[in-house]
Amino acid sequence: MLPQIQLVIPELVLLCLASIALVLDTYSTSKNKVLTFRFVQISLLIVIALIFVVSPDTQEYAFNNHFISDPMSVVLKLVICIISLVVFFYSYEYLKEHENVKGEYFVLGLFAVLGMMIMSSAASLLTIYLGLELLSLSLYSMIAMHKDSLTASEAAMKYFVLGALASGMLLYGISMLYGVTGVLDLQGISSFANAGVDADMNIMLVFGLVFIVVGIAFKLGAVPFHMWVPDIYEGSPTAVTLFISTAPKIAAFAMTIRLLSDGLQDLLSDWQGMLIILSLLSMAVGNIIAISQTNIKRMLAYSTIAHVGFFLLGIISGTASGYAGSMFYIIVYAIMSMGSFGMIIFLGKKGYEADQLDDFKGLAKRSPWYAFIMLILMFSMAGIPPLIGFWAKWFVIKEVVAMGYVWLAAVAVVFSVIGAFYYLRIIKLMYFDEPDEMLAIKASRELRLVLSVNGMVILILGFIPGALMALCLSALS
Amino acid sequence: MSSDMESIYLAIVLAPLAGSLIAGLFGKLIGRSGAHWVTIIGVGISSVLSMYAFKDLMFDGGEIFNRSIYTWLTTGGISFEIGFMVDQLTVTMMVVVSFVSWMIHIYTIGYMHDDPGYQRFFSYISLFTFAMLMLVMSNNFLQLFFGWEAVGLVSYLLIGFWFKRESAIFANLKAFLVNRIGDFGFLLGIAAVLMTFNTLDYNQVFAMAPDYANSTISIISGTDWSLMSVICICLFIGAMGKSAQVPLHVWLPDSMEGPTPISALIHAATMVTAGIFMVARMSPLFELSETALTFVLVIGSITAFFMGLLGLVQNDIKRVVAYSTLSQLGYMTVALGVSAYSAAIFHLVTHAFFKALLFLAAGSVIMAMHHEQDMRKMGGLYRYMPITWVTSLIGSLALIGFPGTAGFYSKDAIIEAVHHSSLPFANWAYIAVLSGVFITALYSFRLFFLVFHGKERMDRNTWEHLKESPAVVTVPLSVLAIPSVILGVFLIGPMLFGDYFTAAIHVQANHDVLGVLGEDYHGVWSFTLHAFQAAPVYLALTGVAVAWLLYIKFPEIPAKIANRFKWIHQILINKYGLDDFNQLVFAGGARKTGSLLWQIGDVKIIDGVIVDGTASAIRWFSGKIRNIQTGHLYDYAFTMIIGLLLLLAVFVHHILG
Amino acid sequence: MITQYIFYFFAALLIIAAGMVVTVRNPVHAALFLVLAFFSTSAVWLMLEAEFLAIVLILVYVGAVMVLFLFVVMMLDINLVPMREGFARFLPVGIIIALLMAIAMGSVFTAIYFNGAHLDVVTPTATDVNNSRELGKLLFTEYLYPFEIAGAILLVAIVAAISLTLRTGRSKKTQDPSAQVSVKRADRVRMVKMKSEKKSG
Repeated sequence: MLPQIQLVIPELVLLCLASIALVLDTYSTSKNKVLTFRFVQISLLIVIALIFVVSPDTQEYAFNNHFISDPMSVVLKLVICIISLVVFFYSYEYLKEHENVKGEYFVLGLFAVLGMMIMSSAASLLTIYLGLELLSLSLYSMIAMHKDSLTASEAAMKYFVLGALASGMLLYGISMLYGVTGVLDLQGISSFANAGVDADMNIMLVFGLVFIVVGIAFKLGAVPFHMWVPDIYEGSPTAVTLFISTAPKIAAFAMTIRLLSDGLQDLLSDWQGMLIILSLLSMAVGNIIAISQTNIKRMLAYSTIAHVGFFLLGIISGTASGYAGSMFYIIVYAIMSMGSFGMIIFLGKKGYEADQLDDFKGLAKRSPWYAFIMLILMFSMAGIPPLIGFWAKWFVIKEVVAMGYVWLAAVAVVFSVIGAFYYLRIIKLMYFDEPDEMLAIKASRELRLVLSVNGMVILILGFIPGALMALCLSALS
Repeated sequence: MSSDMESIYLAIVLAPLAGSLIAGLFGKLIGRSGAHWVTIIGVGISSVLSMYAFKDLMFDGGEIFNRSIYTWLTTGGISFEIGFMVDQLTVTMMVVVSFVSWMIHIYTIGYMHDDPGYQRFFSYISLFTFAMLMLVMSNNFLQLFFGWEAVGLVSYLLIGFWFKRESAIFANLKAFLVNRIGDFGFLLGIAAVLMTFNTLDYNQVFAMAPDYANSTISIISGTDWSLMSVICICLFIGAMGKSAQVPLHVWLPDSMEGPTPISALIHAATMVTAGIFMVARMSPLFELSETALTFVLVIGSITAFFMGLLGLVQNDIKRVVAYSTLSQLGYMTVALGVSAYSAAIFHLVTHAFFKALLFLAAGSVIMAMHHEQDMRKMGGLYRYMPITWVTSLIGSLALIGFPGTAGFYSKDAIIEAVHHSSLPFANWAYIAVLSGVFITALYSFRLFFLVFHGKERMDRNTWEHLKESPAVVTVPLSVLAIPSVILGVFLIGPMLFGDYFTAAIHVQANHDVLGVLGEDYHGVWSFTLHAFQAAPVYLALTGVAVAWLLYIKFPEIPAKIANRFKWIHQILINKYGLDDFNQLVFAGGARKTGSLLWQIGDVKIIDGVIVDGTASAIRWFSGKIRNIQTGHLYDYAFTMIIGLLLLLAVFVHHILG
Repeated sequence: MITQYIFYFFAALLIIAAGMVVTVRNPVHAALFLVLAFFSTSAVWLMLEAEFLAIVLILVYVGAVMVLFLFVVMMLDINLVPMREGFARFLPVGIIIALLMAIAMGSVFTAIYFNGAHLDVVTPTATDVNNSRELGKLLFTEYLYPFEIAGAILLVAIVAAISLTLRTGRSKKTQDPSAQVSVKRADRVRMVKMKSEKKSG
């Protein structure tokens, strides 16, 4: 029993620290809740350190095959924690500026991180589902917490109802799988499917699979299960949008791999077809509708949908290197998305969200350096070499080509060209338009520093994509 | 030896980059003069070293350099590398690029004297020089693409340099979008190369290419396409964007909104020739596909002829030069099409000098005229600007191919090469390039006479301030005038008929038109004399004479002609309607499709067609927006359920049969 | 044989009750139908020998959740009419979709899997098996990890519920008895000394 406990120490400690943070928050009397915030940041650092210390290099199961620790889970957990650390920092700056700091925000954030970590190392259908619910519930309430904002309440409501619908579908799919195989752990399902099933059973498996794919697609925001994304991105306060658009996507990747690869690799030909449809629709709808947006949060929402389409390409290839490509893509996406929303926070001020495209007008004049950071971010999102976003697209496209889906790759390239248009429009606004106001941008030194580092990471990773790719490959080997 | 060369090549590339970075990042610190000194020194170093490399390779028997400098990433057996391949072709380009750029840097001191973005400008043009050098020195497709995109990006920044002008913004967006179309083809071409050969290294690709000469691929199932044709045409589409070939030429005339040094550097001498260079570099691939070569030939001849015609009706001095550039690029492309790669490069080199010269002269005129660009408001300037006048005359003579000037040799070689080609459409191309000679002469001297001779039509204030430009302007003019005259004499022998390019350019025996020409070649003087027995020279002289008649002797005639043939004039003024067409279809199209799809997709289909099925759905929808908890959520949930149903239908029930 | 009829009875009751929940106009009636649905469900569970779950369903859902729910419905007096506005409009499409869905799912279930070939005959467990003990054993051994996660989810739910409803600062409208009791005269009454005014003559 003891060695099993050891594997879950990071999760356990995080749970304890989150609970302590909850108690500590009642004693944090200052308006800005500095104490809670610092404690949460330190908690994440502790968890990161613990993941380094206790995680084995090998694949190990615990708790009757409900928990797995393998290289992928370790890498994903680390990335999730690091990204959340930065995200919380941006969020804190935002909440502080808008004088709306609540300790619960960070406590719930920690629980969300816990949910994501559970999803990353879930080895049974049950843990995946519970991890997902823990994450989602935290997210719903993080949005709803901004009670004074009508749009936030509305966004929370929509997210909650649609999320419940999607969870229901996922759960239904899970129950089908359980009904057919009689086991809950993915290893068991995998060996069941591998042992050969007759046609009747296969139909039942595919039937369950459809519902599971729907659940995954909802979480990722793939068309036609994307409808929540634009509304929730736009309606939520930027601090929460930032969180939703980054770390949970990585958890969604973990969920995808666990369910489709660890559990149902034998149904590859079936889910491949489904994902191709989702991917094509996502790339088309996301890229094209993004063009007509004037709200940058909404535009980034459609851009997310488009990115998900690309991300799915790697999964579609159905090989370990393809999965690594997708992992690379989603990590890179999270970093880029973080920076882009960070820029919106950077430009905003009390009582004012800088979420219109026009807010970026003439930024090059107001602040050349941050205009440059935004330029890097947008170029990277558009996939222009040598930035890291290019490599992300490159790896997934390479994988689908290797699997013989040349037409799919060609379509992807066409849509990436279309997509470049709306990213470039922002650059045009920043560099070639006159600013509406020449006010100096007010932002703390820490925010400036973190934003700069975020931009530089994208630039530098572009020159050493091999390192990150090697990490992803080793995680999935 | 070659390890020395490696550091020299690195210095050639990095010196302009360093200059650019210093001027860009510390512009305020080092001040205006600091910015121009540091960049001029940077580009100067690279220019001098390029000449050294040229000497080394040409005269001292240096070896061809081909090595990777830095491995970026290795993935799945393909490695992405930064590397240099310096052979005769490369070194020629290096000298042209760095030297012209150097001159333009100096000239810029005068031209941009009062501009608030002085440091930024120097930083950009140095950056451009760096990117262009990376492009030409590359030894693999990836770096080629990288340089390709980088020069595009800088040119985009430079066209929009005066971003307060609405038209400049429009022009730079246009340039960027049109180039994206080209780049898309280029990228597809590179992807096809990667798929076929599984490597991006030039030498490996070229070595393997002949094995694939007859392979086919089926893009649409059931049809077989020659693989090499597909690759080459895709690559050439990229070249069409950069080198402004019809129908992707529309950005170049508009790009004249940028400052004149940029027009000279990017849109005449270097960037636009990147496409020409690329095709010459890819000669081992293009040689394998006659289809692709024919395509190149047709596009080139269309560009050469029709773009020249447009130059006849323009009144903006820079636009005339721009259309002349388009037409000359057409000539180079024609040369590529008939496999006379050396002739194309030769024309590229001479053109770089005399066209830069013409642009800088135009800039000098524009400065004297207080940024007035309309030729109808000039005239008689030879009295006030003697140096500009002389150098313009030299440039114009070189452009029309007056015997003895550099342009004569290169253009004549192209015309002769087309004459000997056996490709389909070569006859038409021959007619196009021949009549092009007349047209070139006509519009060049129309410009020359309108600007420098005839009545002085400027307003009084301008007239009072007319004076020759300062030395930083006239010195580069004079320096560029020299090669515009003499370069042809020196280069024609070795470049076209010698074995200078043997290692760099590959021509199949049955395409070797220059070889045929070479049999009749007996030294440069007999070539020159021979020209007097051929049509081009007389066509050019006729063109000059007609220009003189129309614009000096009987200046009222052009208006009458324009009136009589109004419809032709109108077509030319409208640039064959291509601009409007693009405007309507491409630029507007993407945006409209986006909002259309948004409206149709999200609003109409889901709310209207599926839910309500009537036109009143939209009104209903806007009413619902206020009551969002019900209206929207239903829709969203419906969409999800319909999606689920579709997936079920496709993936579960098809199994049921 | 008799058990089969009992099953069909409760199953039918469950479906009718569930249908009524979404169709009746009065929210109180809807809540009561939901209670009925829970009752029928727990009856079905009882027949499956899941006594513990059946009892818990009644205790927790009917006893606590639904009562609370009824309170809320009655206190807030929610008017469902505007919320039902789109109902008639959506009904035709909704029915079509629902039918398609039913066909899609039904064809899979009836035709293929649940035709008996794959189903094991359920053997009743021995009478000395203690349902809650077995559940407890499983929960704390095999399903310990998911069980703990469920605990964390509940904690999040509590935190979320409190932070969403707790009002602090100005918007809080509560009394503080200790403050009321300890109030002093000086806090409420201020003695003002001023010169007596004279009538202006």
